[in-house]
Amino acid sequence: MNAHNGTAFMADEDLLNTVLADLKRTVREYTTAATESNCQTVRRVFNDLTMDTLRLQGELYTRMSQMNMYTPPGKALRQDVDKQIQTAHQTQAKCQQFVQQKTGGAGAFNQAAGIPVHQPNVHNHNPYYM
Amino acid sequence: MQSNQMQALSGKELEYIADSISNEDLLIKQLAATAGTTQNQTVQQICVQHIQSHSQHMNSLIQLLQQHQQYAPAQPQ
Repeated sequence: MNAHNGTAFMADEDLLNTVLADLKRTVREYTTAATESNCQTVRRVFNDLTMDTLRLQGELYTRMSQMNMYTPPGKALRQDVDKQIQTAHQTQAKCQQFVQQKTGGAGAFNQAAGIPVHQPNVHNHNPYYM
Repeated sequence: MQSNQMQALSGKELEYIADSISNEDLLIKQLAATAGTTQNQTVQQICVQHIQSHSQHMNSLIQLLQQHQQYAPAQPQ
């Protein structure tokens, strides 16, 4: 629907952004539909459609980025990442304690492989420290 | 829990399928409008490829309705 004076109905960037936003919404709706399906055939179809729509969204995002149509989000600051790691380790430790209290140690609590145990900034050299 | 057996669709499943068809329809139309407007060949190519994928999605959803059609009760149960 190009206007005869050469002005497009909307810029390509705006049109593709609308598609991208609708793909994100559609993925969410497919996920919800899959989790709320009673029939396994229906669930499988919604599951497949979730995965394929996610693929299409990722592909469109990549192509838009390559054409400089999408501004990548700003980088998170190191101090904010450090803070979140510290908070996550505290949450994990409390969660582990809770599981041990409730299960008497029967509930295995695996720390994700490859993630080093948090090293506190202030080292305590007291050998009796627990 | 999900059943392996083909059965009647629940009201919720029917609504999700109908909404999904509507979503796919909108995506196809948006992509077609973009393909028809753009001067950029890459954008046009992307749109055409995506239209094919979304048309397949719509077919899957329509097939799903058809597969369950015979199991739907005529009266509320």
